[in-house]
Amino acid sequence: MEHLLEIINPHFLLRNAFYAGLIVGFVCPQVGIFFVLRRMVLLGIALPQVSNAGIAFAFLLHTIGWHFFPHMESEKTMALTGSIIFALIAIFILAILERKRKGFTENRIGFTYVLAGAVSILFVSWNPYGQTEVLSMIRGEIVSVPDFYLWSMLAIYGTIFICLIGFHRSFVVVSYDADMATTIGKKVILWDILLYLIIGIVISFGVMTVGPLVIFGFLLIPPVAARMVTRGIPLFCIVSSIIGVVASFAGFYISYRFDLPTGPTDVALLCVILVLLYFGKMLFRFKR
Amino acid sequence: MNTENCITLKDLAIGYSGNTILSDINFSLKKGEFAVLFGPNGCGKTTLFKTILRIIPPIHGTIVYGGDYTPRFGYVPQRQYLDEIYPFTAEEVVLMGTFGQRKPFYPTSRTDRLLVDQCLKDVGMLELKKEFFSELSGGQKQRILIARALATRPNVLLLDEPITGLDVLAQKKIIELISELHKKRQLTIMMVTHEVHHIPSWVKKIIHIHHYKVVLGSLEEIISLSRIDEIPT
Repeated sequence: MEHLLEIINPHFLLRNAFYAGLIVGFVCPQVGIFFVLRRMVLLGIALPQVSNAGIAFAFLLHTIGWHFFPHMESEKTMALTGSIIFALIAIFILAILERKRKGFTENRIGFTYVLAGAVSILFVSWNPYGQTEVLSMIRGEIVSVPDFYLWSMLAIYGTIFICLIGFHRSFVVVSYDADMATTIGKKVILWDILLYLIIGIVISFGVMTVGPLVIFGFLLIPPVAARMVTRGIPLFCIVSSIIGVVASFAGFYISYRFDLPTGPTDVALLCVILVLLYFGKMLFRFKR
Repeated sequence: MNTENCITLKDLAIGYSGNTILSDINFSLKKGEFAVLFGPNGCGKTTLFKTILRIIPPIHGTIVYGGDYTPRFGYVPQRQYLDEIYPFTAEEVVLMGTFGQRKPFYPTSRTDRLLVDQCLKDVGMLELKKEFFSELSGGQKQRILIARALATRPNVLLLDEPITGLDVLAQKKIIELISELHKKRQLTIMMVTHEVHHIPSWVKKIIHIHHYKVVLGSLEEIISLSRIDEIPT
């Protein structure tokens, strides 16, 4: 109880990390819904890895004195830009290949994953300075989130959440039945681009805050768990975010209380929730 | 029946990525007419259908929609292509039909809810509206998809293989439903099928894709053409 009160205290030292986790837990499942429903889960593994490569690349450029921002800008801004650019390029190339039905989806995503993983390590190893800092950024330093970063995250994730709610109908119909969407006047390609843009930004920003593992966990597990226990799309969306927020809150508490790394604790907790809901559903069916 | 043309195809060539599947397509659909697009699997029926629906651009030629108005399409796709991973209720699937007329950020209106209920009632599925769409039978799903097409407030209803894969009783009921909608709502209807016995006997206009040519005829003429094909050479 003492630890819990400490965490929710507005003057808590690690409050930014706590709030960042809650934001990720709330918004990522809303994006993850489309990963799960459009059967793009594998892309959810590959894109954070691509984002990683972007961070490592930008950091490498920054270290060797090659800036695409004024020199006084922090390397984190550059890393974020690298992360977003890499993720968006990858997602658009993959989307175009998917639309043209070139080869197999699994092969393309697998190739992207190994390529991004390999170049991330190479970029880090070529970086003559600050390997530790780059690695910690790639892992997601959830304990050290500066104020500016938290506010930026709130603004970006908030905007994305509003877009997802406001354009929900279009995203759903375009994802479910693109032909029907065309007949009712939806520009399928534009909605797809907007959705991919949202996915790219959420992943890039999230990877820098909490790391690829946590982002993938929050994208995938809450919607999968919610789908098992809900009926209808609105409830599915609401329960996904509730699971994300609960896991983020409880995960932070457990990691703080028992001195564990926050990201892996969150993901492990999400898995526990998924398994419990699965067995709960089985039990419910058995009793009926 | 109205004599005004609703859809007119002139010297149309259709296909994908510049590869022509069918060419020299010329026919028209009149307002309130019921037509069947018939042909074997893989002959280009769905491609022609999607070209009419403006999903695929034509390679050559023109499609003229209506005289003084643009028809609003109600599209019923082949249900097996819809992914069952989506946790939709039957009501939510029908509600999708109203999405084209709603602006972003506005909640679903009471008018839309009433329209959805009316469409569900028209296809005899109102009592199952809270059921999972994926858990319904083939015939029930087909009814829901027809209700979704009706929710777009269409004046042209296009159905892609609506009775394929259904048992005989469900096939009969779906055909009855479609003909009832045709009569009650004065809808222009175009239905795709690859089975000659799926064509209702009272249909006057059949667009037959035969040896890569589009031929118009009555049911008797189509049956004779099909029988000629069956004669061993």
